[in-house]
Amino acid sequence: MRYFAQRFLQLVVVFLIVTFVTMVAIQAASKDPARDLAGPLNSTEARVEEIRKHYHLDRAYPIRYAYWLKNLVTVDLGNSPTLGASVRTLVGQRAPITLLLGLYSIVLALAISLPVAVYAAYRRDGPFDRFISGATFAAVSLPNIILAVLLGYFFATRWRIFPYAASKIWPWDNPGEHFKNVALPTVTLAVGLVAIFVRLLRSDLVNTLQSDFIVMARAKGLSPARILWRHALRSSLFSLMTSVALQFGGILGGAVVAEQIFALPGMGLLLFQAVQQKDLLVVQACAALFALAVVIINFAVDMLYAVVDPRIRHARALG
Amino acid sequence: MTAPINRPQEGTLLELRNLRTHFSTARGVVRAVDGVSFTLDRGKSLGIVGESGSGKTILARSIMGLLPKRGTIRHGEVLYAGQDLASLGLKGMRKFWGQEMSMIFQDPMTSLNPLMRIGHQISEPLRVHLDMDKVNARATALKLLQDVGIPEPEKRLDQYPHELSGGMRQRAMIAIALACGPTLLFADEPTTALDVTVQAQILDLIQDQRRDRNMSVILVTHDLGVVAGHTDEIAVMYAGTLAEKASTTELFANRKHPYTEALLRSIPRLDQPSHTRLLAIGGRPPDLITPPTGCRFAPRCPYAEDKCRAEIPELEAASADHSFACWHPVGSPRWQSKQDELVSTGVLSASGGIA
Ligand SMILES: Nc1ncnc2c1ncn2[C@@H]1O[C@H](COP(=O)(O)OP(=O)(O)OP(=O)(O)O)[C@@H](O)[C@H]1O
Ligand code: SF4
Ligand SMILES: [Mg+2]
Repeated sequence: MRYFAQRFLQLVVVFLIVTFVTMVAIQAASKDPARDLAGPLNSTEARVEEIRKHYHLDRAYPIRYAYWLKNLVTVDLGNSPTLGASVRTLVGQRAPITLLLGLYSIVLALAISLPVAVYAAYRRDGPFDRFISGATFAAVSLPNIILAVLLGYFFATRWRIFPYAASKIWPWDNPGEHFKNVALPTVTLAVGLVAIFVRLLRSDLVNTLQSDFIVMARAKGLSPARILWRHALRSSLFSLMTSVALQFGGILGGAVVAEQIFALPGMGLLLFQAVQQKDLLVVQACAALFALAVVIINFAVDMLYAVVDPRIRHARALG
Repeated sequence: MTAPINRPQEGTLLELRNLRTHFSTARGVVRAVDGVSFTLDRGKSLGIVGESGSGKTILARSIMGLLPKRGTIRHGEVLYAGQDLASLGLKGMRKFWGQEMSMIFQDPMTSLNPLMRIGHQISEPLRVHLDMDKVNARATALKLLQDVGIPEPEKRLDQYPHELSGGMRQRAMIAIALACGPTLLFADEPTTALDVTVQAQILDLIQDQRRDRNMSVILVTHDLGVVAGHTDEIAVMYAGTLAEKASTTELFANRKHPYTEALLRSIPRLDQPSHTRLLAIGGRPPDLITPPTGCRFAPRCPYAEDKCRAEIPELEAASADHSFACWHPVGSPRWQSKQDELVSTGVLSASGGIA
């Protein structure tokens, strides 16, 4: 429990640092944040000054940050002058799609990588393993954009299996349509992940399969399937879990790109518009949300280590 | 439930005929086991003794068929109850493993699955081989833990290997190996990872279980002192071959091979700390890629002469329970004259120990 609290605190600190740094970076990049926030048009001097006061933009960064945090906690992040809605509404409408996209791609990638890596490691250096080694190498070198364009061309334009210009449909409204709409961006993201996951897991599995306890499991007369899935896999999950946590920020970044290509109205699209229009509040809120998601995933993976490995669990219980 | 009902109680259980296990490596072919033949009767125990690297582990794993196929070249026959194991294939072997033959490994820390509860690890073969349901398997696992003398067995079922002491871990491993009532039990240096005080307990436990269950046991060790009180027969292994094989009493009373002689000389006395390696023999075992052409012990043997270096001495039976592979065994004229020389130059004391 102490470990849990400690780790949680650590992540809160990380979150604070990340959001503070992004705020400074975003606002320092602007000539006059107050003028940007007032909107490009119809901004009288008086209006600009009013905004400066309202968001405390005349104060030092730490104080501005403190006010921003207070707003964050009360989920009142102000209004977007250009998009004509509150930041809360904008982010609330768009963020779930991106987060779902990120999660879907991870789940899909894991569902594919696990059996592929297990079989490749089991038949190490066999034809399947060699094919997978080549295929994953190709997949890692393939840029997301090209993959997205190819997928779009074949599956949307030519065969019309999936919509090209996707629209936002919530899974609880119409699951079938929802998944149809997110299918192509999800696959776009998952391909690269599968390649990374398979390579990591396969090499860890190959190592695990040489350990003494695997020889012991064979000597017990267990079937290869049981040895692989019950004994070897669990010991080989650590790099994979770490990688999921480390990649998550990048995955969200990839989701932004994928949304652009498939015109899926998620955070990516919002972020793009906001950056173009110098909508600082929206950019800051998006960055904060991404940071929060990454921090939460890292925390979850960290807890998962302990679920998988009783030694970690016990060491933490003591520490 | 644990033992097949019609299991014969006597007769030959295991016969090796010229077993060879070589590994092809980048440096060349490693002749880890190079022509080993012996027989083992039901209910008997055999100690395989030799220095580190002499091929004991590879021999045991070859018999069981546990070596990975990749890079392994295997010749010769392993007859188990008259059946050639090579004809069984991997699927057939899987039925044998755990049920007919099982193995206790050297290091219980690395050989038990660190992420699986002890109870689960014991009940796994019970469920796979004997089709037990969960409740039954757990009850049997508990009974096994009691049999191997683990304190608070109930609690251990739900613990993980790292929560047990070294001795308890090895007992748990023995419980796993015994679970399905094997006919032949291998123990590959089962005590090297343990405290001296625990070592004897574990060896006694294996002996007790052998008697109770009428198993045959092959006990692999580098320490002649370990097998002395715990096996019926001893096979001395040197560089992938058998140097000498005899009943334990015969071997200690009437050793024939100069290597055995050296081994016996290096057994630590009770009043001295135990050696883990054979310090008393000078030199090192030969390279297994290009072993000596004649007798493999020749480079280190005080009695070696030209014939030893040119011709391989075969393992031959001197009596019903004693065979050895040497041109000039202990007691032969050459041995005698060399022995006198060594004593006169002060290398050996007259009583046979190292001066
Ligand atoms: N997979 C392999 N490839 C090549 N050589 C190997 C392989 N496995 C074992 N050997 C070699 O075979 C020889 C015999 O090894 P083995 O493990 O049987 O020795 P051992 O008698 O059990 O020694 P120890 O007392 O150290 O356990 C060693 O020289 C080892 O280097
Ligand atoms: S054959 Fe010769 S070299 Fe080999 S052990 Fe006997 S005496 Fe020594
Ligand atoms: Mg060994």
